[in-house]
Amino acid sequence: MNSASNKIFAKAWMAIVYLFLYLPIITLVVFSFNDSKLVTVWSHASFRWYAALAKDSDLISAVLLSLEIAGLSALMSVFFGTFTAFALNRYKRFHGRTLLTSMSSMPLVMPDVIVGLSLLLMIVSVQNWLGFPERGLFTILLGHALLGTAYAAVVVTSRLREMDSKLDEASMDLGCKPMQVFTLVTFPLLVPALVSAFLLTFTLSFDDVVLSSFLSGPGYSTMPMVIFSRARLGLNPTINAVATVTIAVVTIAVIASSFYTSQQERKRKREEAQAYSNSNK
Amino acid sequence: MAKKQSFFTSLSAGRLVVIGVPYFWFLLLAAIPLLIVLKISLSEMESTSISHMIDWSHGWPRLTLNFGSYQFLATDSLYFKTYLSSIKYAAITTLLCLVIGYPFAYYMARSPKHMQPTLLMLIMLPFWTSFLLRIYAWKTLLVSNGVINNILISLHVIDTPIEMMNNSFSLLLGMVYSYLPFMILPLYANLSKMDMRYLEAAADLGTSPFKAFWLITVPLSKAGIIAGSMLVFIPAVGEYVIPELLGGSSTLMIGRVLWDEFFSNNDWPMASAVAVVMILLILVPMGVYNKAQAEQMEGK
Amino acid sequence: MATAPKEANKAAQEILLRVENVTKVYDGTVKAVDDVSLTVMKGEIFALLGGSGCGKSTLLRMMAGFETPTKGKIFLANQDITNLPPFQRPINMMFQSYALFPHLSVWENVAFGLKRDGMPKDEIAERVEKMLSLAQLNQYAKRKPHQLSGGQQQRVALVRSLAKRPQLLLLDEPLGALDKKLRESTQLELVNIIEEVGVTCVLVTHDQEEAMTMASRIAVMSEGYFLQVGEPDTVYEMPNSRKVADFIGNVNIFEGKIEEDEPDHVTVRCPECVHYVGHGVSGHSGMDVGVALRPEKIMLSKDKPNSEYNWCAGEVIEIVYFGAHTTYHLKLDSGKVIKAQELNNTRDLSCGLTWGDRAYASWSDLAMVVLTQ
Repeated sequence: MNSASNKIFAKAWMAIVYLFLYLPIITLVVFSFNDSKLVTVWSHASFRWYAALAKDSDLISAVLLSLEIAGLSALMSVFFGTFTAFALNRYKRFHGRTLLTSMSSMPLVMPDVIVGLSLLLMIVSVQNWLGFPERGLFTILLGHALLGTAYAAVVVTSRLREMDSKLDEASMDLGCKPMQVFTLVTFPLLVPALVSAFLLTFTLSFDDVVLSSFLSGPGYSTMPMVIFSRARLGLNPTINAVATVTIAVVTIAVIASSFYTSQQERKRKREEAQAYSNSNK
Repeated sequence: MAKKQSFFTSLSAGRLVVIGVPYFWFLLLAAIPLLIVLKISLSEMESTSISHMIDWSHGWPRLTLNFGSYQFLATDSLYFKTYLSSIKYAAITTLLCLVIGYPFAYYMARSPKHMQPTLLMLIMLPFWTSFLLRIYAWKTLLVSNGVINNILISLHVIDTPIEMMNNSFSLLLGMVYSYLPFMILPLYANLSKMDMRYLEAAADLGTSPFKAFWLITVPLSKAGIIAGSMLVFIPAVGEYVIPELLGGSSTLMIGRVLWDEFFSNNDWPMASAVAVVMILLILVPMGVYNKAQAEQMEGK
Repeated sequence: MATAPKEANKAAQEILLRVENVTKVYDGTVKAVDDVSLTVMKGEIFALLGGSGCGKSTLLRMMAGFETPTKGKIFLANQDITNLPPFQRPINMMFQSYALFPHLSVWENVAFGLKRDGMPKDEIAERVEKMLSLAQLNQYAKRKPHQLSGGQQQRVALVRSLAKRPQLLLLDEPLGALDKKLRESTQLELVNIIEEVGVTCVLVTHDQEEAMTMASRIAVMSEGYFLQVGEPDTVYEMPNSRKVADFIGNVNIFEGKIEEDEPDHVTVRCPECVHYVGHGVSGHSGMDVGVALRPEKIMLSKDKPNSEYNWCAGEVIEIVYFGAHTTYHLKLDSGKVIKAQELNNTRDLSCGLTWGDRAYASWSDLAMVVLTQ
């Protein structure tokens, strides 16, 4: 085995996998600017489908509904996910800890259809019993928040785990009451993790089609539900346009945030190095 | 004295809230719903409503368990075939993801340190774009008058379009495509933490790089392999969207059966029974996954 | 360094901290701290010394209020604080690896405790200024902790815990996170600041040198209880048990029986030699005892000493050169190996011994300690 050919092979392998991952995305974007009604045959460039998208009131109201649900469910996910992370991280021993651990990881691995079905059946039972809730925005929200809580708990737990528990003690030692420990020390240190948990769960909700289909009621179609029903029927250039818009927004956001964090990291490293070189003089 | 009391009671009250809130949340939305599924799978449809399991008409509760749905599941060979074929597709998907993902994660972990965050972000980025849209994009690529066929025909590589849609090929392609990041991420996390000195020690003791890879790298990344495989396999068994959009009618997947029982046939007990059997099928891999995770956390 | 606070507390002689029969049991069975009592005088620096798992940290955490004793009481200035939560105790702690708040600047870290007390803003500013100049950190006030070197972080941690003017300062392995070279200078700075403020300290350490140089009194802990409590020289020169002698510094222990037991001297017969101890001990003739002899108290020579007692002979099997001194390992005729330390006060190795030489080790009649436990 020769290390130069090894390296070439490694690079080729990585390039092929990246191509595989990005090929469909590139196609989506390119063909959104295609003038032809046929999604797969290139005629010439135009913004025709963006104009169609602007007039597509079904799709637009679905996008707005999806945004609303994603925002609310992400907030709920972060809230309950933080509680879950604290319960599992701060209390090593209580009755039913194993049950909580498995319940909180269940939505992560359980197939969507099962989560959707079980939630719906639960909601119907409650409905028969109490007369509410009606299927609609609220029930979709519950489903997305359940899924999001599981993901948010993972993100927050990993941050809590690397956080020095001595910081809590130090703040108590300096006079913080238990609630102040949280507001003055733990929470500020958790903020970055909460932000990334919010973004992750927002995306999950914005992306979900299976749970929404089970849990929505008449008149409540999220964007993925509309896209899914159109995609089942065939190819539709408006979908390419809406895809390109979301891809653009997400890409800009992800690149900007990762650029920002890597800048921060670099700055921190530089300052650290400086501190050490100063002190060794 | 009063102050002491308040500190310790507030501490335990805080504990109660911190544990109680998520407990209530997951009991209500995760545990109880599954029990309801189990319950409904043991009842039967009476026109549009579900029969009551507990009958009070005689003045005392009488529990009636209806195994009709399970009987139907067991006797109709189509269900059995569908379960089998779901497991087959999920297993092939897992294997393909491992074969493609392992070298990728390995090379990524060996890339220059300053490159790794970018490479990682490039894996995550498609993750952030709608999964549904990406599957839809494959459809535009694969159909007989789709992008790939058009390009191949215009280059005169082929004369007639290749059938790439609505078969096992398109299904597996879509599944591998969607689940590949779930394989790569845990593998990368595991491999990037691995101490390179083990390999140096192996080389020092006269092991060839190829042997060292099989004797050291692979066994040490066992936890990553298990985590990645389970993260792919378990949701793949019950996948619905990909077979619906790319699989066509010939590929049997149990997620679609559940969906159809529920939405087309309105047979809730049957859909629940299908779900219960599906849960039983993935219980073992879930146990393996949880055990591996717990071990990794302790071993850390 | 260690003598200054000693004299100060002799003048005051006021008990600040009293720990009474404190026991801490974990999980119903594991005794981390076992019926410990101690008093700390005002102005004293008191060290809890022991290996890992000896219970020293648990004891410290009970003083801070992070753990409550299973049994026993803790008093601070005659007030029972056993069940007082940490945020109500006039006690502050400097944590191992400092626990500085990473999201707050140096200034805000030091001001953190004062703000919780609701101190007026201008007073806080004044106090923080004072604290920072005490630690010579004024120019770093706006920095975040990660922008400081290890030594600077350590000083921030110290003045943060001093800012509230606690009655008692707890130090958890204060030098543990620093490398060896930095330790000595930092230790000096630390003690200087503590003495300038005049605060009473309890410090926890596993490093005997750290304990000896910083503390006015040391408690040697093992398996949850105190083996010996005393001033550093007492603990070193007069250990009360084999465990203490062994834990603090290097020691050779000869096992033997008391032969003569007189008020002004005793003799102990060991397989290797006969020890003549120039003072009385609490024992009786025929009793099994250990004789502890520190390596630096042994003289080596090639010539046989002309005395009846306090010498033995053996073969040099190992010579370890440390620069300032050299340690010789001597294999005695009985097979026992003892260590002897010789100062290298000239540039040629003073006693001229080499591997395989037969050498005679001798010591004075006040060099050893008779251990009955």
